Amino acid sequence: MESGSQPVPSPVREDFDREVLAWMDDVYRFAMSLTRDASKAEDLVQETYLRAFRSWQTFQPGSDARRWLFTIARNAFLRGLERERHHVSLDDGDPDALGAIQHYAGLVTDGTDQLLSRVDLAPALTDAIGRLNEPFRSAVVLVDVEGQSYEEAAAVLEVPIGTVRSRLFRGRRQLQEMLAEYARDAGFAAARAPERGGDDA
Amino acid sequence: MHKGVDCRLAMTQLWDFLDQELTEENMVAVRIHLEQCSACHPHAAFAQQFLTALSRCRCADPMPETLRTRVLDTLRNAGLMS
Repeated sequence: MESGSQPVPSPVREDFDREVLAWMDDVYRFAMSLTRDASKAEDLVQETYLRAFRSWQTFQPGSDARRWLFTIARNAFLRGLERERHHVSLDDGDPDALGAIQHYAGLVTDGTDQLLSRVDLAPALTDAIGRLNEPFRSAVVLVDVEGQSYEEAAAVLEVPIGTVRSRLFRGRRQLQEMLAEYARDAGFAAARAPERGGDDA
Repeated sequence: MHKGVDCRLAMTQLWDFLDQELTEENMVAVRIHLEQCSACHPHAAFAQQFLTALSRCRCADPMPETLRTRVLDTLRNAGLMS
């Protein structure tokens, strides 16, 4: 009979240290993006590492440990959501070219682009990422913040590459809208004229 | 080759281009269009600046020092040898 967890032999412990513990900062950042709450993110990191440790023998040596950890973290997060019976929207939408052109034109002509070159936007963008809805937030964090390829992000999110692409498109569009609002508040961009109704009175 | 890339196609493929997710041939075609098109160039420059700003968010959420200790304690309790 086994009596719970067995101590992990030293050589394996060294592998675990080198391959897995080194990514704790990255896992925390990803957990923050998922939970949008520091305390919940810490709990998720702890759960992720515990699950990683327990399934360490299934890890393929030489494969991408960071991606493996992101996958565990996301699955643990989703299980928590299911427990809380939260609904995760999977409406992805499709990129459309004309909309993209008009969108960029608006951002460039209203002065939002000046903000990018003149202000450290990391705090504002981090806040904006936190306000993105899932599933767009995870796609943006994995690709834009963590530098994963579409293929790597697709593996973590367990969706086709095309879905990662469309989620990125939507997520980035929403972030740019938030950025434009920030630029207007900061005085970098002109306020957009209110849309006229059908009645001038 | 790149003669097939117009503004519409360049904008449709802009993110894939900036993420280096296009085929080598399409990367070249879109790059040439963006370099030569005065209408698309500022949009591409803006999008690139936007991605650069996003990548800097890596540094904006430092992990609390206490978390590493907490995780290691949990792993030790689960059987990871110290």
